Amino acid sequence: MNLGVNLRPGSTSWLLRHELRLFWYTTVAAGKAGAPRRPNWRVLGGGLLAWAGLHVGVFFLLRELGPGAGALPHQFVVAASAMLLTTFLFMLSSALKASVETLFERGDMDLLLSSPLPSRSIFGVKLAGMALGVAGLYLFFLAPFAHVGLLLGQLRWVAIYPVLCAMALLAASIAMLLTLMLVRLLGARRTRVVAQVLGALAGAFLFLLSQAGTLVSQEDGPAPSAIARVMAAAQSLDPQSLLLLPARAALGEAGPVAAIAALGLLAAVLTVRLTHQFFVHGLQQAASSERAPKRTGPVRYRFERSLVALIIVKEWRLVRRDPHLISQVLLQLLYLLPLCLLVFRKDELQLPAIAGGLTMLCGSLSASLSWIILLAEDAPDLLQTAPAQSRTVRMAKLAAAVTPVFTLVVLPLLWLTVRSPLAGAVTAATVCGAVLSAALVNLWTGRPTPRGEFKNRGKRSIATVLLELCSLLAWAGLALLLPRALGTAPVGIALAGMLGATAAIAVGTVPLAWLLRHRVR
Amino acid sequence: MTGTPALVLAGLSKHFGRPAVDGLDLTVGRGEFYALLGPNGAGKTTTLRMVAGLVAPDGGRIEVLGIDLAADPAAAKRRIAYLPDEPMLYGKLKPVEYLEFVAGLWGIDGKVAAPRARELLAWLDLEQHAHELTEGFSRGMKQKLALAGALIHAPELLILDEPLTGLDAGAARQVKDLLLAHVAGGGTVILTTHILEVAERLAQRIGIIQHGRLIAQGTLDELRVAMPGATLEEMFLRLTGPA
Repeated sequence: MNLGVNLRPGSTSWLLRHELRLFWYTTVAAGKAGAPRRPNWRVLGGGLLAWAGLHVGVFFLLRELGPGAGALPHQFVVAASAMLLTTFLFMLSSALKASVETLFERGDMDLLLSSPLPSRSIFGVKLAGMALGVAGLYLFFLAPFAHVGLLLGQLRWVAIYPVLCAMALLAASIAMLLTLMLVRLLGARRTRVVAQVLGALAGAFLFLLSQAGTLVSQEDGPAPSAIARVMAAAQSLDPQSLLLLPARAALGEAGPVAAIAALGLLAAVLTVRLTHQFFVHGLQQAASSERAPKRTGPVRYRFERSLVALIIVKEWRLVRRDPHLISQVLLQLLYLLPLCLLVFRKDELQLPAIAGGLTMLCGSLSASLSWIILLAEDAPDLLQTAPAQSRTVRMAKLAAAVTPVFTLVVLPLLWLTVRSPLAGAVTAATVCGAVLSAALVNLWTGRPTPRGEFKNRGKRSIATVLLELCSLLAWAGLALLLPRALGTAPVGIALAGMLGATAAIAVGTVPLAWLLRHRVR
Repeated sequence: MTGTPALVLAGLSKHFGRPAVDGLDLTVGRGEFYALLGPNGAGKTTTLRMVAGLVAPDGGRIEVLGIDLAADPAAAKRRIAYLPDEPMLYGKLKPVEYLEFVAGLWGIDGKVAAPRARELLAWLDLEQHAHELTEGFSRGMKQKLALAGALIHAPELLILDEPLTGLDAGAARQVKDLLLAHVAGGGTVILTTHILEVAERLAQRIGIIQHGRLIAQGTLDELRVAMPGATLEEMFLRLTGPA
């Protein structure tokens, strides 16, 4: 990537250009390891095509809305506020992950810190890089409003750019400050896990909020969600309330735009100016945090386990001792929690949804664990040079991947079966199907990858991703449809058709994965 | 050299776009300490990886202790151990857990493996680190643990790729002593190294490989016949240097 600008080596803008180049390499020009760094034209072309499509869609939408001069309806501003809050929470979630990566995965940090560049420049550029990464996705989806708005003479939409950039800067600053504060309070070892959990909680906040009303309600029947209550309260807010300022900025009011942009910039500048030294200190702490406290005592030599037991124990140890990894995987349980609580309530109306949700989440958890255990092997050469049968090793790893999921879901399933034997039996079957399918799809079509690449699971083969997704959705669909079909006599043609198609996809993905097993890798 | 050789390579070849190993013929006898030398990219590691069963050859034959590797890989693997330059470890396992796992992979009875593990850890000064995860180990400690893993099943043929790279003097001495003890006990050691002094001091025979072919082989004295008075380094540079 050549930006065609001659910058003074060692200057902040020069470093920023380096950061942009890295951003380019890791996104658009990301290729296979060892492959030349060229743009992936298919991805780039597909992305540009999708972006052009978005512009067309937005064009018709904005033309329909019209110029809308003057103040927008209060409801519109409230809805925009809700959207911006959601966006900000997701930005914060991404920024927390990025700050943990910057501190703990380091990348080029050792090289930069050993250079004579001032730490303020390094920190500032890293923060700008984080903000860019955080804003990128949202700019992709929302920038078309600004472009089309400009074309149609609806200038208010141009405000999306400064508002999103300011939000990204604010999210990056908060995330970095929070991570550095955690390093000071908890030490580097715990910070990595805690910051990741906080990031996931920020992302899942609205989901949990939406479930909160239902969970705390002691009455049968659907309770008003916390989000509905918040939205109702927001309707009564004064139009000039500070809480509505970001939305008014995003909708093009000049004063609020300036205020939000200034807030984002100020947050970033203050963060860099006041904490750049602590940033360096945090990096140093993170670099020396890997060793666990020393323990003493007699060593236990337990060499009597069978090979299968050894492999299972080894895999569970590796997952259990990697809090960073486990926090990423088990956070899926966060979404399982409200479902499990619903299972223990008396309301029967939501049973199909619970069955579908449980199936989906167990399948998803199984997919993650299968990837870690089956594909992210730290010492593949050791297994290959050993005389142990590879089939035995694979089966043991498969057992290690699915057993924790079944263990976690057994209690909710039993309770569900007690309450409704039919729903319980159907859910047990679909959970088993989803868990085993996800594991087998990964086993047969997954690409072996280093364990540290968990966050890049998205770079898997398209076949694996599609098969896994189809399998999960189909098994969850079956969990939704089957109780309805079994409780209805006679079954309508539409329901029977949907059921047949869903069952065919659910059952068909595993043999398809087996057929593709040599081609995909 | 007595009985069936420990390793026979006949016409071994492997291509990665260009020939990495090109019709290599090599025989190493039982109880021998053999050093395979060569410049970077000469085909040493590819050769060892083919012997360990990690890379399939494009042509030729590998015989380990009389067993055809292609015909019965499991039987051959049971009797050899391979130690690459990057130790094959699990960062989140403790040393004993690692040895327990490796012993299981080789199907070693627990009653045999447990005392052997204890003995190896003591010998390599790793007992005091038994409660630590290997991710916190130094390069030397990792290499020593990997060596303990390679020796847990008492292999007859031990293949090591650059086993002394990055080790401090103490750790290097321990590894060298262990290798010499292995040979003294009747085992066979084949290693690659860039430290010519190691080959000079430890190996009974030395092979020099370039462009995937063996260009010289013999004891140090045999190699010196062609270049009287030359050190191994001088011989190596003359043989592998630009023509």
